[in-house]
Amino acid sequence: MSCRRISSILKEDASVPDLTPLTALGQTAPMVLTRGALTVTEHPALALASLALGRGAVAPCPFGVQLPEPGLWAAGQGIAAFWTGPNQWMIEAEGRAEEDFARDLTVHAPGCSVTEQTDGWVCYEITSSKGATPILNLLEKLVNIDVASFGPGRATRTGLEHMSVFVIRRAEDRLAILGMRSSAASLWHAIGTAAGRLEEVLE
Amino acid sequence: MARLSGGLIDRTKTLSFSFDGRGYTGHPGDTLASALFANDVRLMGRSFKYHRPRGPVSAGSEEPNALVELRGGARQEPNTRATVAELYDGLVAKSQNRKGSLSFDWLAVNDLLAPFFAAGFYYKTFMWPKAFWERLYEPMIRKAAGLGSLTGLPDPDSYDKGFLHCDLLVIGGGAAGLAAALTAGRAGARVILADEDFRLGGRLLAESHSLNDAPATDWVAAAEAELDALPNVRILRRTTVWGAFDHGIYGALERVSDHLAVPRGVRQTLWRITAKRIVLAAGATERHIPFRNNDRPGIMLAGALRAYANRWAVCPADRVAVFTNNDDGHRTALDLMAKGVGIAAVIDSRPDVRAQGDYPLFAGAVVSDSRGRLGLNRIAVARDGRETWIECGALGVSGGWNPNVHLASHHRGRPVWSEVLHAFVPAPAGGPPGLTAAGAAAGEGSTAGALASGARVAAAALSDLGFAATLPDLPRAEDAAQTLTPLWHVPGEGRAWVDFQNDVTVKDIGLAYQENMRPVEHLKRWTTLGMATDQGKTANVTALAVMAELTGKAIPETGTTIFRPPYTAVPIAALGGGDSGEHFRPRRLTPTHEWAASRGAAFVEVGQWMRAQYFPRPGETEWRQTVDREVLATRRGVGICDVTTLGKVDVQGADAGAFLDRIYCNAMASLKVGMVRYGLMLREDGFAWDDGTCARLAEDHYVVTTTTAHAGTIYRHMEFCRQCLWPDLDVQLISTTDAWAQLSVAGPQARALLERVVDGVDLSNAAFPFMACADLTICGGIRARLFRISFSGELAYEIAVPARYGNALMARLVDLGADLGATPYGTEALGVLRIEKGHAAGNELNGQTTARMLGMGRMVSVKKDSIGAVLSRREGLEAETRVLVGLQPVDAGDPVVAGSHLFAAGAARNTWTDQGWITSACHSPHVGSAIGLGFLENGANRMGEVITAANPLQGQEIALRVVSPHFVDPEGGRLRA
Repeated sequence: MSCRRISSILKEDASVPDLTPLTALGQTAPMVLTRGALTVTEHPALALASLALGRGAVAPCPFGVQLPEPGLWAAGQGIAAFWTGPNQWMIEAEGRAEEDFARDLTVHAPGCSVTEQTDGWVCYEITSSKGATPILNLLEKLVNIDVASFGPGRATRTGLEHMSVFVIRRAEDRLAILGMRSSAASLWHAIGTAAGRLEEVLE
Repeated sequence: MARLSGGLIDRTKTLSFSFDGRGYTGHPGDTLASALFANDVRLMGRSFKYHRPRGPVSAGSEEPNALVELRGGARQEPNTRATVAELYDGLVAKSQNRKGSLSFDWLAVNDLLAPFFAAGFYYKTFMWPKAFWERLYEPMIRKAAGLGSLTGLPDPDSYDKGFLHCDLLVIGGGAAGLAAALTAGRAGARVILADEDFRLGGRLLAESHSLNDAPATDWVAAAEAELDALPNVRILRRTTVWGAFDHGIYGALERVSDHLAVPRGVRQTLWRITAKRIVLAAGATERHIPFRNNDRPGIMLAGALRAYANRWAVCPADRVAVFTNNDDGHRTALDLMAKGVGIAAVIDSRPDVRAQGDYPLFAGAVVSDSRGRLGLNRIAVARDGRETWIECGALGVSGGWNPNVHLASHHRGRPVWSEVLHAFVPAPAGGPPGLTAAGAAAGEGSTAGALASGARVAAAALSDLGFAATLPDLPRAEDAAQTLTPLWHVPGEGRAWVDFQNDVTVKDIGLAYQENMRPVEHLKRWTTLGMATDQGKTANVTALAVMAELTGKAIPETGTTIFRPPYTAVPIAALGGGDSGEHFRPRRLTPTHEWAASRGAAFVEVGQWMRAQYFPRPGETEWRQTVDREVLATRRGVGICDVTTLGKVDVQGADAGAFLDRIYCNAMASLKVGMVRYGLMLREDGFAWDDGTCARLAEDHYVVTTTTAHAGTIYRHMEFCRQCLWPDLDVQLISTTDAWAQLSVAGPQARALLERVVDGVDLSNAAFPFMACADLTICGGIRARLFRISFSGELAYEIAVPARYGNALMARLVDLGADLGATPYGTEALGVLRIEKGHAAGNELNGQTTARMLGMGRMVSVKKDSIGAVLSRREGLEAETRVLVGLQPVDAGDPVVAGSHLFAAGAARNTWTDQGWITSACHSPHVGSAIGLGFLENGANRMGEVITAANPLQGQEIALRVVSPHFVDPEGGRLRA
């Protein structure tokens, strides 16, 4: 039984909300920062929902994505998942942050507990114009991860400047760092400073 | 004297620098010390206690004497060792620890007063008159203490940090380290080679030995080129590995820009290196032999004299003597002679040695004294009871070599004594796991021995890791066995320095012995031996040998002090990691931060959060006016406050209710869907821990809130309960604190305001009563959650929307509610509102209070078990009579001060008559005076009684009347309106 769902129709599909959202950095448009070969972009369009297996539930394959093993990230068509804890994953949905993605996921994950996480996090996508090396150099300055075993498809939770973050290696030249939305500015500063210092070294 | 021939300096370029305001020149490749020697400067510092003139003793990081203040202005860096400061054009250095000039230091008077400044004098003096300690003695001692000075200006440079991982960490880039790195690099292992020097090669740069009949630097250059070309090898130059920590992590400081006049980019980087195996190839430090007046500028370690001559082509004097107890000392004489330096004498304490070259040898003799006020000019040589004075401007002293066992001795590794080497060497086990010493650090100090040992140790480490390593072809090198007859000091009258930096003499050690400070740890603290910036690298072993001699114990029995990081000094700036000021630690901003900032809100730090404290309006001249206005506006109309910072945990699963029943002391499983209940959590010991609300969104879905302060700890506790205590329960948890912006909308007009934003929802009391909750949409379809809960005592709601909409919702509510008196309020008003209502918060939930004290004793359900329930009923807590009461000053003009203790009127003021304390206090615009909450013995039965609040820190005693803690609407009619 659902709780008091007083609103009689699902208005989000039908009407246009008249409040203007802000990104985690407090802007109306995503921030972009380029330092040397690295570009850091805030990604507010990424929808997130956590998925945890209930007792006796069989791991689902939501939207065709096989839920990955610990330390891994798996991507499908516009949907991806990474492991976050025993029997727990975070599901990413490209471009669906304004929708009720969690409710959609619930339908595709029977027996699972699904929780809206989109605005719990800020996602920074980091791309390199010079291949893997700048990405690895940046990681080295930010997180205590052995970069040699952190190739594409790896994801982990770790500390970054006393903040808890998820780090996902999406490709050789692409990295995502997800941090608490409330500390988005501190995380932006940390990543930008580290990227800037790499640029100084390269000069 | 003029530069010698050869050396590893670039004579095609000239660098200008200054020392104590005087200009000099040097060359790339010089250190400050070598360049000063080249300019005939031997006097570079003053000693710590006696202000004795001092010059360099060493040519490396072990230097105790030649400490300078490097650079100027905000970049001034005290206690920089001139022996490792790389020369750059424009370098500015000043001598330190002096009053007056370096050559005429007024504080040298201390030297005349030396009999009064013996070891431990400060433990015995300054005892009377007692009042003098704080006013005279301590300020005086503080003024005299310390070496270099700080400018107090903020450091303008940026410091970085990072993490590295490798299979093999090689510490030290000398013969052993290079052989180890080559072995591992060729085997394909991931190697980090770190060396503190700006040039790889270690001792190979300081000696005249050849490798494969060519200069050693040829082999070093080839090895360096090969290592540079290997993608699996990373060379960290100018990098000191300074500590071994848990889990194979090593601290390393890379001096990225210290060799530049103005740092380009990062000044220094602090690396944390995680290594599977470690080769410690840190070399060895020569030890000196204390004799009377052995601390004059020009008296140095023999190996250092050799290093200055061979690597830097300088010698502090043109006539030099050597004092040794081993063969290595003779090498200094030979190398200096080869460079054209005159050898006045070689004094060898061993009677049956022969000269190895054409120099005067005093076998079976010792140096017994020296002369020269600001630098050595002659030495006394004693043999068979006769003393001969010899003219010389420098003396090289060699008492043997101590392996640099420091890093192997972190983690409480204890070095072991080698009877062959007469030195401590790293123990094979007991130190940092995975670390093995090689080369001179392991006591294998010949060039051939060091090369072979480095390769062998690296190969063994690699084999452990599953790499097939082959030993490299090593160059032919000298392999002379070192013969040494221990000589720990020259007995006699006068003062013979053991620790130059701390001015500790052989006599001081004798005094420590006399006063029973005999264990080495006591010796260290009594005499200050081995402390300060050099950590006794040139002193410790000699000192404990002297103590062993006094006690008649063997040296290994006497033992060493504990070795601790850092190996050499690490700037606090580097340890700090670079960010200071507002970025010193992460900040958390609320979803309405932008709006609050645009309204000129004052912000307050609440843990990591920055919360709006109040919203001043034009004309309000002090914060109380603003807060009073916000409180009254909320009580009369409607106030809006961002309460996102409260922790939110999503709880789902078939057993969610049962789970919450166990962690809250009151029942939650019985909560109806669509309703909210206040919840109290107890600690295991029965005391109150945290409170919040629990909303049931569906049969198997709850959202609970925690206090802001405990958001993290309660979530962790819940995860612990779920994963470890009751893994059988079907419960899933996740934090949603940041995901939802949550605004409190409170006041008699709250409903009217919310009706303007919700999408077609009936908010009437009948449809949405007190403590109801619902999923709904607002503002044309935005997902939201509405909770009818009240912290202020007014008709109130909390509305949650996805965080991205929080800012716009705040603005919208304030705009739409203008006619209703909608007013944003901050944490100050929030506090006043809840104190007026008598709601507990962090001040009341301080870990010392129980549910009974909070007036919630009956909430602890006896129908079920929950964490802390049983212990909350224990005798001591059952007997507790202090309960939460309201307090109001008898004289309305009096303050109520939180923290004051409560006493019956007229009672004595002491611990035994103490009846409680004030937890929270504020000015209540509703009451019109200060009010407070507090815990008072038998408080419930004392309504109306006048008691005394004592605040002895401020000399206050205030008469307070005990009242109900509910200053506002005690019947609760408003929140149900």
